[in-house]
Amino acid sequence: MISAVNITKTYIMGLVEVHALRGVSVDIKEGDFVGIMGPSGSGKSTLLHILGLLDRPNGGGITISGRDVLKMSDDEKSRFRLSKFGFIFQDYALVPELTALENVIIPAMAKGMPPDECVRTGMKYLGEVGLSDRRGHIPAELSGGEQQRVAIARALVNSPDIIFADEPCANLDSENSRAVLELFKKINEETERTVIMVSHEEWHKKYFERLILLKDGMVSEDKYL
Amino acid sequence: MFEDLRVSVFLAARATQRGGIGRVFMNIVIIALVLTNMIFLPSIITGSIAVFNQQNVDYITSDIIIEPREDDSYIENLDGLLATLNRVPGVVRASPRYESPASIEFEEESITLGITAFDPRDEEEVTKFQDVMKDGNYLGSGDHDSIILGYLVAGEKDKTGDFYPSLGGAEVGDTITVRYTGGIVREYRIKGIFNTKSWSADYMAVVTWDEMNSVLGYENNVADKILVKTSGNGEDVDAVKRNILDYGVGEDVKTWEESLPDAVTESVESFNIINQISVVGSLLIAVVLIFIMTTIRAFNNRKQIGILKAIGIKKSIIINSYVIQVLFVCLIGSILGFLILEMMVAYFTAYPMEFPDGDVTPVVDFAMLIENTVLLFVSSAIAGFIPAWRITQENILDAMRGT
Repeated sequence: MISAVNITKTYIMGLVEVHALRGVSVDIKEGDFVGIMGPSGSGKSTLLHILGLLDRPNGGGITISGRDVLKMSDDEKSRFRLSKFGFIFQDYALVPELTALENVIIPAMAKGMPPDECVRTGMKYLGEVGLSDRRGHIPAELSGGEQQRVAIARALVNSPDIIFADEPCANLDSENSRAVLELFKKINEETERTVIMVSHEEWHKKYFERLILLKDGMVSEDKYL
Repeated sequence: MFEDLRVSVFLAARATQRGGIGRVFMNIVIIALVLTNMIFLPSIITGSIAVFNQQNVDYITSDIIIEPREDDSYIENLDGLLATLNRVPGVVRASPRYESPASIEFEEESITLGITAFDPRDEEEVTKFQDVMKDGNYLGSGDHDSIILGYLVAGEKDKTGDFYPSLGGAEVGDTITVRYTGGIVREYRIKGIFNTKSWSADYMAVVTWDEMNSVLGYENNVADKILVKTSGNGEDVDAVKRNILDYGVGEDVKTWEESLPDAVTESVESFNIINQISVVGSLLIAVVLIFIMTTIRAFNNRKQIGILKAIGIKKSIIINSYVIQVLFVCLIGSILGFLILEMMVAYFTAYPMEFPDGDVTPVVDFAMLIENTVLLFVSSAIAGFIPAWRITQENILDAMRGT
C-alpha cells in the first residue's frame, strides 16, 4: 500500500544541516497498525509527515496505492489527502471557530458529500467517539481528550484508507491516552484501515501490530509484534 | 466547483459569526464610510453643475438659443423669424433680446453696462425672472420709465462686499440715469431688483422691448439673441432644434448645452477629474484598510490555514473563504453606506447647501453609484485575495506550527 524507498530529508537551520532522515525505506501493507517509535530527534514525525504528503523529502520515492505521490501537484495532493488519509495531530488541530460537529464534517463537505449526509455521517462518527452530546461546542469548550476524539472523528469521516496519527496522546492523561489507543485498535481491527502512529511512550507498543524503530534518521528495527 | 464554493461560504460564515463581531463591525463601518465618501462628494459636484446648468436654462439661454450667424452682428428680419419660430413643433415661445451699451449713474456711482431689452410677456414663458424678484416687481409690457436690475448691479452701500462695479446700494423706487450710446439719456425708476443667484444673470439691467424702441427711435426689427422655450423635457431639445433648422432658420441655433462656454465645459471636465481623484483616493483607502485587516487576520489564522490544508482542503477553498468574508463585509458596508447616503441626501435636499451660485442639493447619479460600488467590491476582493493567497502558499507544517 505504501512503499517508501530511500527517503532522505535534510533541514537547513542557519548554517547547520540537520539530516532528519538518511535513506529510510519502508513498506506498509493495508490493514497494518504501525507504530513509529524512537528517541527524540530520530525523525519519527518527519517520516510521518512525508508519508502523509504534508512535507516533501529531499530524495527517494514514495508510492501509495500504486501512485507516485511525489509527482502530484499541490491540488492533487490535497485531493489525495482528503479522500485517502485521515490525520490526527498532537495538539488536536481543530478549527477554533467551528463546533465539534462542524470540525468533523468539514472534510466531508470538501469531498462533496450532500449537507444532510454530512450531518448524519458526522453525528455517526461523533457518536462512535462518544461525543454526540458535545456536537455544538467549539474546541475551547472541550477538554483535551474530547478535542482529540473530535479530531479522530474528523479523521474518519471520509472513510480514509490510512490514518496518520502524530503523537496523538502526547497532551493527554493516561486514561484518555488509553481510550484513544483503544479507539485506534478498534478502528484498525473492525475496518481494516491502516493506522500509522508516531509515539515515544513505551507502553503504547502493546497496541501496535508492527513497530518501526528509528534512530538517527534511519530504520534501526522493523518488526511485527 | 459548487462543493468548493459551499465549503468556502461555510468557512466564511463561521469566521464572520465567531471570529470577532467587533472586527467585522469595524470593517463594515469603514466600507460604509468609504462608499459614502466615494458617492457624496461627486454628488455635490454633480449638484453644483446641475444648479449651474439649470440657472443657465432659466435665465441665460432657455432651452435653445439662437444667435446671429458668424459674420453678422444681429439677427435680422426679427418679426418674420419669430413668427416662424413660434410655429415650430415643440416650441412654446421665442423671446428676443437686444442689448444696447450704456452707462448707468446713481448718486456718485457710475458703471458701464449693456442694457438688455425683452418683452416681459414673452420672457415670462421663456425664463424665470418674474419668480426671482428680490425687491419690487417684474416689468410690465407697457413700462417705459422703469428698469429692473440684478442685485449685483444694484450693489450694497458697503461696496467691499461687491464682486463687480455696482451702483452702491440702489434700491427699488430710486431713480437712475442711463446714458445710451448716441447721446440718448433716460431716467428710470427702479421697479424691481432680482436675484437669480447666477452671476451672469444678476449683472443685468433690463428694460422693456417697447422702451428700447423708444430709445432707438424706431421699431427695432433685430435682436442679439432669441431664447426659445421647448415644450418637452431635456431629451426633446435636440429634436426641437432639428425642427427649427428644418423650418429653414438659418441663424446659429444651439441647445443650451451646446451654448455653454468652453470655460464651463472645461470646468465640468475638471470637476469630473476631481471626482475621479476622489473616487480613486477612497478606493485606495478601502483597499489598503482591507488589505491590512485581511493580512492581520490571515496571519493570525496561519495555524488554522495549515490545519485546513493538512486535512485536504484545497488552497482555493481557503482563499475564497477570505474573499467571501471581504465581500460580505462589502455588501453589508455598502447597504449601510447607501442608508447613510440616503439620509445625507434627504437632509441636504431639505436644507440645501448655500453656494455663491445657488442652493446646491446632492445629485446621486445611479450609474456612478453602481459603478463605484462595483469598483469597491472588485478592489476589496483583490485586497482580500492577495494576503490570503500569500499565507496559503506557506508550507503546511510551518503554518501549523505558526513559525
